[in-house]
Amino acid sequence: MAQPPLSSSVQPTDVYGGDEVSAIVLDPGYIHTRAGFAGEEMPKQVLPSFYGHITSSQRDVFGDQAIYPRADFEIRNYMNRDSAVEDWDTATKIWEYALIDRLGVPRPTPASKNGLNNKPKPAADGDVEMADEADLDETENYEKPMQENPLLMTEPAWNSPKAREKAIEICMENWACPAFWLSKTPVLAAYAAGKATVLVLDVGGANTSVTAVFDGMVLKRSVQRSPVGGVWLSSQLRSLFETSEPKVEVVPRFMVESKKPVEAGQPAEARLKTFDFQISPSFRAFEEEGVLKEFKESVVEVWKGPGRYLAQGNEDYAKNLPGRVFEMPDGSNQMWREQRFKVAEGMWDENAAFPSATEEGKITKAQTVPGLIKAALDAIDVDVRPALLANVVVTGSTSLLPGFNDRLHHELTAMFPSVKVKIHAAGLTSERRFGAWIGGSILGSLGTFHQMWISRKEYEENGAGIVEKRCK
Amino acid sequence: MTSRDVHDVLNLPSDHSGAPRPSKKQKTSASRPNLKGLAREVQNLGGDNPIAIVPEVNFFKKRRFASRKPVAKWELKAFTNSARGDDGALVLRHWKKKTDVGAPVEGGQDGEGQQQGEGTSGTEDKPEDSAFAKFNVQVVVPHYTEDQYHSNLQNNDWTKEETDYLLSLAKDFDLRWTLIWDRYDFQPTPPGGDAANGDTSTAVVPAPKQRSMEDLKARYYEVAAKMMAVQKPAQYMTRPEFELYEMMQNFDSEQERKRKQFALNTMSRSKDEAREEESLLLEVKRILARTERFNEERRELYNRLDYPATDSDINSFKTSAGLQNLLQTLMTTDKNKKRKSIMPGEGVSPSSGVPNSAVSETNPANRRESIAASATSNHARRDSEARTPATPADPTPTSAAANKKKGGAQQPERRKLTQQEEQVYGVSYHDRLGSGPTFRYEKINKLYSHKSGQQQLRITNALSELDLPPRLVMPTAAVTAQFEVLWGAVTALVDLRKISDRLDGEIKIEEAKKAERDRAKGIVPEAEKEKEKEGEGEKGGVGEKDGEEKKDGEEKGEGGEQGGQEGEEKKRPGSSGSLTAAGHKRSASVLSAASDKSAKRQKK
Ligand SMILES: Nc1ncnc2c1ncn2[C@@H]1O[C@H](COP(=O)(O)OP(=O)(O)O)[C@@H](O)[C@H]1O
Ligand SMILES: [Mg+2]
Repeated sequence: MAQPPLSSSVQPTDVYGGDEVSAIVLDPGYIHTRAGFAGEEMPKQVLPSFYGHITSSQRDVFGDQAIYPRADFEIRNYMNRDSAVEDWDTATKIWEYALIDRLGVPRPTPASKNGLNNKPKPAADGDVEMADEADLDETENYEKPMQENPLLMTEPAWNSPKAREKAIEICMENWACPAFWLSKTPVLAAYAAGKATVLVLDVGGANTSVTAVFDGMVLKRSVQRSPVGGVWLSSQLRSLFETSEPKVEVVPRFMVESKKPVEAGQPAEARLKTFDFQISPSFRAFEEEGVLKEFKESVVEVWKGPGRYLAQGNEDYAKNLPGRVFEMPDGSNQMWREQRFKVAEGMWDENAAFPSATEEGKITKAQTVPGLIKAALDAIDVDVRPALLANVVVTGSTSLLPGFNDRLHHELTAMFPSVKVKIHAAGLTSERRFGAWIGGSILGSLGTFHQMWISRKEYEENGAGIVEKRCK
Repeated sequence: MTSRDVHDVLNLPSDHSGAPRPSKKQKTSASRPNLKGLAREVQNLGGDNPIAIVPEVNFFKKRRFASRKPVAKWELKAFTNSARGDDGALVLRHWKKKTDVGAPVEGGQDGEGQQQGEGTSGTEDKPEDSAFAKFNVQVVVPHYTEDQYHSNLQNNDWTKEETDYLLSLAKDFDLRWTLIWDRYDFQPTPPGGDAANGDTSTAVVPAPKQRSMEDLKARYYEVAAKMMAVQKPAQYMTRPEFELYEMMQNFDSEQERKRKQFALNTMSRSKDEAREEESLLLEVKRILARTERFNEERRELYNRLDYPATDSDINSFKTSAGLQNLLQTLMTTDKNKKRKSIMPGEGVSPSSGVPNSAVSETNPANRRESIAASATSNHARRDSEARTPATPADPTPTSAAANKKKGGAQQPERRKLTQQEEQVYGVSYHDRLGSGPTFRYEKINKLYSHKSGQQQLRITNALSELDLPPRLVMPTAAVTAQFEVLWGAVTALVDLRKISDRLDGEIKIEEAKKAERDRAKGIVPEAEKEKEKEGEGEKGGVGEKDGEEKKDGEEKGEGGEQGGQEGEEKKRPGSSGSLTAAGHKRSASVLSAASDKSAKRQKK
């Protein structure tokens, strides 16, 4: 009758082939950098990839809580618009901040095993200095801060060999990790979906990419990407606001001292803060982006189809659908009706995109989501195409737009009428946002994976070039 | 205090206003069971609705206490993974339940337990191996040495370098062709070596060929099949090996290409086309179903028109009793049929239908089988030898039932061996052999026995001239077959020589006759004689022609030859000796040509 809860022979991790070695998974993206322990279901640390640079003292500050209006303050990003690392020095610092200070990787001398937050974060004000001090402190005190933890890093499918070598160098030289692995984000997204042969559509921050993954490996010929991602969508929103009648102005939250409720469509009645220092354009843009993100989350929707938004009658139909009200931080608000569909239509139909002020904002047919998928499939063997279309995995935060999956399904069935199309998109918001990280978490805690790691010894014997040989 | 009082206090309308108060009270208090452990007043608060009482559940708690054991201890244990092939250079650590030396080892799954035991009792110097190392499996790709490559694998389209590259990719990607093709990026090393960028700028570096997946597959299968055959000749391969071998050998890249083109076309069909095709498919299905029904009906019709079996001996019907018997059986089958004909479709009454169906089903099978059995009995013996290595053909389920009745002695239908199976098992078909053991050279001796002594002599002469012993040293099947070919050629040549000899003789006779005729003109009787002779000669001539063309006029030819020899001058032995010598020389040269030919054939 009495039954032990779980005998050790039925440890669930063993049953599912898990074997946790406290590996760390690091997924740097253009918008966010995610870090956490393999085997957990969510990254413990999600930092913005944007960081603050104080021009007067040439210091960098990291993390959301460090970004607030202050003097001589610029916002920068260590990643570039290709979702690859641009500034390696800062990348190293930001990652150390994320892994060592924030994640609290256990030290070789374990004073506190459970030190996930052994350095309690003070309130926003004193934080930055503390964090920076801590940073210095740690790296000086511990020559080998991550001696115990293998590191699994993600990279875009189009990463350059140089960047890959740089990554393993930092891992081995700066942090003294015992082992390292570099995995491509589409592969990990596929693992997160529990599949090995899939077509991955990653609609992220700076890029949208389509990649065929076959048996857990990227098909290089299939890799397609375009700038049509969250950032591009934000620029479309700005164009929408510019062309609206009357113009909609984005006032970021930090500028508003107080506001009064106003009628829809009326100018805002708000008192703005004044600062005795200059607010840099980059900081303002970063803050505006936050507002736009809220707008995306709550208002924008993808025209579900069937047919494109510009097709006969669809726009009129959209006009009659219930609209959504969005209130800007300054209190001005407005009802958004068909525009909320139209603004995302450019992802699917280049003709529907708002004219862009900058050259890079303009997109071609090949850069739309259907164009990318078509190009990706055309580049690979016919025999695998049906299998891929039956396993389309959608990931990336921008894919959270309502109606996205319906539209994708319509587009694909229209493109391939005789093939079975099935879309696998995680239902949980977090799984969509952290798809690649979760896949890395699964991979890094898999018992069979531990034979793959590039060990320290291999690195020392072969140099950084080994990453090209091993992580295929 | 009752519920009514509560209602009064709260000024609520009474739900049973009409009912007399005291009696109701009595009734309720009487009917309601007295719940234990609850004050009466509290109970009464519930009014007419009974209070819902949920029994306390202490099930979970009890269980927890019952299984209280000392808390399991976990420890951070180091481990290596032997699948890495780095001699345990990478040591990782994971949490494992601690196993004490005294306590029973509980957690040992996958043979991990023993190692754990070792680890804890002894010193911790050697970390245990990961339980997952055993899942590391790798594909086997063919290997070849430099020599093997040059002797077997040369290909105009592929350098050795590129072939090596292909095979290494095949190994890296575990033969997943999609990946191999995707990553295929062969860069030939420039022929000039390190000086290529300097003075030899004119040297043209061959642009790497664009290889399609079919090209890669074709080359790989070619290499794999050839190396397989080098390591193990086809006849010694096991069945799956041979199948693989055949498959790889028969890889048709052109067909693959066409198939892919076809697949591409199907994928790029428009919606209308897809719909049309779908409807066509439906139509086809319908048509097929219809033909099936039609066939069913036709079979039923045939059943009705079934004729009595005629393949049995008619002798039994020659007597009146036999005839009577026949009539009886015909009538019963007729009856059966009448009932049966209704049976398959509508099934009037299941009680009569079922046993009949059993009969009707076994009947045709039985007959067919008996025919097959009689047919097989002839070949059974010769066959059995060939059959034994083959896995017995699985009998089809319908006939299996019938088979059981007969004790399963024969296989219902002889499985036809395919060509490749024959090749694998070494099955060959030949004439019926006599009973008892026979020797292959006897067969050759038999060939001799048909010939006249003189011819035998000549043939053996010819053979000895070719340095062949009259009796083969090693008469294997292949050798005897080849010998028979050679023997046939020799006899043909001997025959031809015989004919040419006779022709020579006849020419001489004719010449002699002509001379005689010239000499003695006008003497009638002699002329008559000559005429007679002429006729004979003509006959002989006809025979010659026959012999030349059909090679069957041997007797006549010999006769003619004898005649010719008689008609020759008296010094026969000498002349014939010289003739045969000349003939020998000629025949030898011809023979050598013939043997050349046969040798060529052998090479093929
Ligand atoms: N609910 C949402 N709806 C639409 N867009 C969103 C949503 N949440 C986040 N985004 C957008 O997704 C982008 C970030 O996507 P993410 O996959 O995290 O990018 P990356 O991997 O490059 O860091 C941002 O541009 C953000 O504005
Ligand atoms: Mg991403």
